[in-house]
Amino acid sequence: MAGSTAEPAVRDVPSALARRLMALGPNTYASWLDREACESVVANGLPDARAEPWKYTNVNRWYDVVPGEGATGPLAINAPPGVHAFDFDDDRARQLGQAHRGKAFELAEQPLAAVNGLLLGAGAVIVAPQGRAVAAPVRVKDAGPAYQHVLLVIEAGASITLIEEPADFVHRIVEVIVEPGGRLRHLRRQRSADRRECSLVAVHLADEASYVLAQSSRGAELRRNDVVVTLAGGGAQATINGVWQLVGREHLDNQIVVRHLAPHGTSRQTYRGVGADRSRAVLNGRIHIASGAKAADATLDNKNLLATDRAEVYAKPELTIYESDVRCSHGATVGTLDEDAVFFLRCRGLRDDDARALLVRGFLREAVADEEGAAGLGLAT
Amino acid sequence: MSLLQVRDLRVRVDDQPILNGVDLTVEAGEVHAVMGPNGSGKSTLANVLAGRPGYEITAGEITLDEADLTQALPEERAHRGLFLAFQYPIEIPGVSNMEFLKAAADAHAKHAGRTEPSAMAFIKQARGCAERLHLSADFLKRGVNEGFSGGEKKRNEILQMLLLEPRLAVLDETDSGLDIDALQVVAEGINAFRSPANAVVLVTHYQRLLNHVVPDHVHVLIDGRIVRSGDHTLALTLEDEGYGWLDG
Repeated sequence: MAGSTAEPAVRDVPSALARRLMALGPNTYASWLDREACESVVANGLPDARAEPWKYTNVNRWYDVVPGEGATGPLAINAPPGVHAFDFDDDRARQLGQAHRGKAFELAEQPLAAVNGLLLGAGAVIVAPQGRAVAAPVRVKDAGPAYQHVLLVIEAGASITLIEEPADFVHRIVEVIVEPGGRLRHLRRQRSADRRECSLVAVHLADEASYVLAQSSRGAELRRNDVVVTLAGGGAQATINGVWQLVGREHLDNQIVVRHLAPHGTSRQTYRGVGADRSRAVLNGRIHIASGAKAADATLDNKNLLATDRAEVYAKPELTIYESDVRCSHGATVGTLDEDAVFFLRCRGLRDDDARALLVRGFLREAVADEEGAAGLGLAT
Repeated sequence: MSLLQVRDLRVRVDDQPILNGVDLTVEAGEVHAVMGPNGSGKSTLANVLAGRPGYEITAGEITLDEADLTQALPEERAHRGLFLAFQYPIEIPGVSNMEFLKAAADAHAKHAGRTEPSAMAFIKQARGCAERLHLSADFLKRGVNEGFSGGEKKRNEILQMLLLEPRLAVLDETDSGLDIDALQVVAEGINAFRSPANAVVLVTHYQRLLNHVVPDHVHVLIDGRIVRSGDHTLALTLEDEGYGWLDG
């Protein structure tokens, strides 16, 4: 990054990070991403802790862990036969990356993605070829550098499953393009971790395309999940299920945006969260229905349980609707375990802690869509 | 030795005395009915026997098979063979009836030092009990009491009783909210459960269940005290004459 072009951003960027980015410049890996990332940082700056979307997550604490140099190394991806995978330093990856740039997310709206672009250590493009339904999942495993980017292109009529296994990173982007009639099932598993990480899942759905996200999360010292799903084609469908269970001083901030841009789109969002001890969970779910997205059908349902007085949850559903012919509903609740139910189970011989665990399991199960993943993390199955 | 002994039980809720010295002795093989007008303390008695939090026992004691349960935890009472059928059975979304029943059976087995029943054997047993109560197999797969009709909820309580085979079943207004067919099914379940090895305390407002489950003893609870005891004909008298003649 040339010092002169970065100068205007310095005002907006927390100084320690700005100094580091200035000193470093972008690494040379996948340099086709750099220019746009630089321009975005220059034009938009980076958010600081006072920015509204970061109200409940101190982004400065994430900047603190942005490493001094962007290490590179391969991403550990298991792609089954019938699915193609290219590293970002491959020309085909660059072509696909550039062809789909800006569809699933705008850098201006996702400023940390620009940091990811500058410091990227590993990237891969995964292509599910047209018309192919592949049963075996693509797995993104726990290995790789701090900054990662996976671009999935699900060609027309293709169908695959992506499993994001629990992993350590500082920032990961999962960018998804689902072409007409394509389908992606995305299982995302996040373990307890003594680390600070942010991620972006950005999905672009064409006509009749379908995307299912099942996210099973434990908390981390700082964990921020940004998810943006755009129903850009007619009849597209998105289903997002999220469950989480936080203990200690764990933190989990989910910022979810579902955008209906075309007619007859359907989106279903279901979240169940349990917080214990002094944990903090955030679910900010926004449904945006653009003018022209006629007959859009969108729901968001979020229920939370707090097991202790000092656990916190911030649940904020938001609707922005610019079309009259829509069906849209949202709801969020925060409560505690029903003590009558605890007593009922104890009367049937369950110990107090077993009774509570069973009730929590039942509560979370309403949103579990990845049983194996949830079980692996000790969540409900 | 008596199966259940309640001696001079005095209970307060929010500083309000509810039970004012209840004495009740139940022998193995017996069915006792505790009747009384609204607010007489019937449900309090049932809940205190099961160990529900929120009640302050100011005097008296409860023993089951000579073990003092007055201060025992609800699960300890359950392990010793005390079963409370709830007046308002609790819904537990997300937990299937079968999973709940198996968890309860496992908890009992674990406490008794027995091997937990195998899933297959338990499913078979549960289906058998469900059938006796005219409940379809599908009923076991549904969330606990979730979306059940009033009658199904009460039958589900009886199903739990049949599976857990308690020493003492305390049935709190199990007849309330039942139509006549469901009442008969529930009564058949209770009669099937009756044996010389166990006992039943029926807490009820009305006499009609007692047409189907004939009690050995009937007690009338008024203002937190048992004011009259008798055989099953006492229930018929109450049906005809109400509780007014017993006041004071």
